[in-house]
Amino acid sequence: MHKSWPMSTDMPTLLELQMQLRRAALGGDTAEIVAAIHGDGLDPAARVGIYRNHAFATLGASLQGTFPVVCRLVDERFFAYAAHEYLREHPPHSRCLVEYGADFADFLTDFEPCAALSYLADVARFEWALNIAATVREVTPLSPVALAAVPAEQAANVALRLQPSLTYLTSPWPIDAIWRANQQSEVSTIDLASGGISLEVRRSGAAVAWRRLDPASFAFRTALADGFVLAAAMAGATLQDPAFDLAAAIQHVFAEGLATAYCLSPEEEAPQ
Amino acid sequence: MTERRTIPNWSTGIGLRSPHLAEIAATRPELGFLEVHAENYMAETAALDRLLELRRDYPVSLHGVALSLGSAEELDRAHLGRFKALIGRIEPVLVSEHLAWSAIGGAYLNDLLPLPYNEESLDIFCSHVEEAQEAIGRRLLIENPSSYLRYRHSCIPEAEFLTEVARRTGCGILCDVNNIYVSARNFGFNPIAYLDALPVEATGEIHLAGHHTAEDVDILIDDHGSRVAQPVWELYAAALRSLGPVPTLIEWDTNLPALEMLLDEARHAQELAHVHRHADIA
Repeated sequence: MHKSWPMSTDMPTLLELQMQLRRAALGGDTAEIVAAIHGDGLDPAARVGIYRNHAFATLGASLQGTFPVVCRLVDERFFAYAAHEYLREHPPHSRCLVEYGADFADFLTDFEPCAALSYLADVARFEWALNIAATVREVTPLSPVALAAVPAEQAANVALRLQPSLTYLTSPWPIDAIWRANQQSEVSTIDLASGGISLEVRRSGAAVAWRRLDPASFAFRTALADGFVLAAAMAGATLQDPAFDLAAAIQHVFAEGLATAYCLSPEEEAPQ
Repeated sequence: MTERRTIPNWSTGIGLRSPHLAEIAATRPELGFLEVHAENYMAETAALDRLLELRRDYPVSLHGVALSLGSAEELDRAHLGRFKALIGRIEPVLVSEHLAWSAIGGAYLNDLLPLPYNEESLDIFCSHVEEAQEAIGRRLLIENPSSYLRYRHSCIPEAEFLTEVARRTGCGILCDVNNIYVSARNFGFNPIAYLDALPVEATGEIHLAGHHTAEDVDILIDDHGSRVAQPVWELYAAALRSLGPVPTLIEWDTNLPALEMLLDEARHAQELAHVHRHADIA
């Protein structure tokens, strides 16, 4: 076995080479990496191009798999273009591609070429919520009996931890109806003026489930999900519905298996 | 570092892709083992639940594609932790990764990118293999890559580099016969000489897959998207002659066919392995 191999003195370090190939693979400058490779009978740029094409094709396909309805709404060519622009600036950090695309909806919000499709970013938020629910397992729900240990005078200061698969999202557009209509080969007409919606998306056993919530329940559950104590969550819900029934709301949260743990917090301000 | 379960060295298996999960669960075809890409099962998906059921009936091989052992930076410890946790749940018969890199500067490029082969990359790669093996408490098999470019500053032949990695770290080698064929064609080296340079005792698995010729340039692309090509079957037979029977996997990841076609490829590999097994005994 050789103990040493010939080295040239002017060679770039491994880190330099890898940063050069990364830059080229993500659509940036290729001059440095091209200078560092053999042509072997071909234009070296063509060799680099194979890796760049692979990165854009496979990462684009991954985004398309996570956002199929967004893709359908804009068509595949436009989606590939949007995905291309997105992944140049936001390459994945996680090595699990189902976790890629957390900020794709935010990117679409500011992406000028699709500004006319005002509901598109919210459909992307909904698809991301579905993706979270499909990839995050539910944990054992908290039994309401556990709260019996809380002294009555402390009850208002209870904060509940909710299921990690949950997402609460609201939109001025009927994004769930848009999504559902795009599961069919023939898309039926959606009344975009039918009003805003508030959604709860979660894992339910092995499946993904969502439903629309009334504004007070949405305010209450969103506040809980954000870590606010019961008193603060109730204050926010009462703003939406003065007749909001706290006892019934808590009962539903437990009956649906949404709460997973609780803690006692000092008083907090109501959510805005 | 020993495997808890083992499989016979003439076993053949297939790469398990999620569109085939339900059919395999329902029909339970006869297979020596199933291999999955580790990163596809690190999230808590319904596919993971299926795999956790299948592992009761099939030996499973865990094939990592994103540890990026060749990165000049530190290993991603969070990712290594998830890899280890999955190994704990699956209890795979084999655990493998690649002689490649795929992430740098916080960006994961979703590819098995080629390394320059020199003293610096050898030291870095070996230290990462050692760290990973220590973390998972298992021996890794390291797969030879297919590649489409060579660096000017590579000065160690790939087979020699891989052999030295195995010698220094105690890792095994996953000999991808299609990758040898593809790289040999792309760079004009002799694939048989490459095979002969690999240490027989370190080789723990063989991969077979399809490739295609790029449209605009004369380069073979390892796309795992078709049947194993005839010259690759011939190279596999040569590998069996020099290595003896080794657990062999059919990989098919793009343009996924009906399950039956994969099983047919696996049967063909099995027949070849049997021929050489009996030739060995005789």
